[in-house]
Amino acid sequence: MKTYHDIASDGGSKILEQVTEQQQRLKARLASVRQIVAVASGKGGVGKSTVTATLASSLQRSSCAVGVLDADLNGPSMARMMGVRQFTPQVRDVSMTPARAHNNVAVMSMDLFLPADSTPLLWRAPSQQNAYTWRSMVEMSALRELLSDTHWGDLDILLIDLPPGADRIHNLADLLPDLTGVIVVTTPAAVAQMVVSRSITLATDVAQVPVIGLIENMSSFACPACHHTEQLFPATPDTKALADQHDLDYLGSIPFDSRLAQSLDHGRSFLSVWPDSPAGRAIQSISDLVIKRLNL
Amino acid sequence: MALFETHGPFDGTMSIVYQCPQCDYQMAMLTNRAETQMVRSLGVKIGGRKVAAEPMETLRNNLAMPREGISEPAQVASQSKCPFTGVVSQAFDSAENPEFTWTPRAKERIDAIPPFVQPMVQQNVEEFARRNGYDVIDESVMDQVKEILGM
Repeated sequence: MKTYHDIASDGGSKILEQVTEQQQRLKARLASVRQIVAVASGKGGVGKSTVTATLASSLQRSSCAVGVLDADLNGPSMARMMGVRQFTPQVRDVSMTPARAHNNVAVMSMDLFLPADSTPLLWRAPSQQNAYTWRSMVEMSALRELLSDTHWGDLDILLIDLPPGADRIHNLADLLPDLTGVIVVTTPAAVAQMVVSRSITLATDVAQVPVIGLIENMSSFACPACHHTEQLFPATPDTKALADQHDLDYLGSIPFDSRLAQSLDHGRSFLSVWPDSPAGRAIQSISDLVIKRLNL
Repeated sequence: MALFETHGPFDGTMSIVYQCPQCDYQMAMLTNRAETQMVRSLGVKIGGRKVAAEPMETLRNNLAMPREGISEPAQVASQSKCPFTGVVSQAFDSAENPEFTWTPRAKERIDAIPPFVQPMVQQNVEEFARRNGYDVIDESVMDQVKEILGM
């Protein structure tokens, strides 16, 4: 009679070898990517995707080869913001083709696999009951495949747009030990900064992920006509103080500009039309700092 | 012990019955639905893998509502010599590529049966369809089974 502890193998499944092969595949794919940077916050609604899309455009305008991965599997928005919603990825040899945005930025998103704007991400299973026990696991597998099986080619930088949640940076760091670092986005709102502060602590102290810097989005409202700026949030906390508290670089602030949202809603590049607007100049300034920090 | 018969998978779980060739002693192993789904969510193949995974295989295999033009990865039979993992892998692969097409009305009739006997009835109907060469299970097939079984 054999007991559970006498089982010397997994019945030939070789699960460990399969997982190791997955990690090697991921490492090999990303070997041609110089820097992998996550754009995160912890707080929803601060404009992570907006920052990712505009930063990607700005870096590309500075002659960097840029890729964008939308890691928000349940609420993907990058494909629309980058104007590639109609593209359907195809298998080419051992990888899948990413979309190419108007500015030649490579884009991969779960949105490209779903049929309609109203289609939610639903995983096939015998039953959706108690799906919480396995859903996060299949989503991590899907995220790993989006990274490892996309034909990124040679990139100077791959930006990963993370979904809200303080734990997301930690999860990504588990998946990607070679993650260069994270750019954290906040707004001046006190509630946002409280959540963001917790995310930074988790990233630096627990996940041991370098934070490249802090960006304040929607810092003020810039008049499109005369460029006069007004505070969007009255009596706002000092975002620079938050950066100092965590010993981070403050990369800059981006004023609110409704034309920015309109451009991204229609998949158009904001910077190619309004590069000299206050928001455009702020994004370019942040982009220049990122290039400097990462030696791009 | 030799493989005797399998039941399922139904609702994510299946049983495998082994029998002693000498004394006919039987023992059954039952898979746990949540554990099986968790292992499959890792993107690994139960029973082992001889062929490298296709690009985004787990993603494409598991999407319930994919966009038109997103192809499904090819199904590769398990290479496992293990009489448990190999059988489980094959059974779940078959379940994802069902042998029969159920018409909506026939499916409604199955769904109207109390859940605890649904797997048994479905198995009987499919066995009948298999023996009689039906690919599509409609109300007429259901009626024939009903008459035979006296249900």
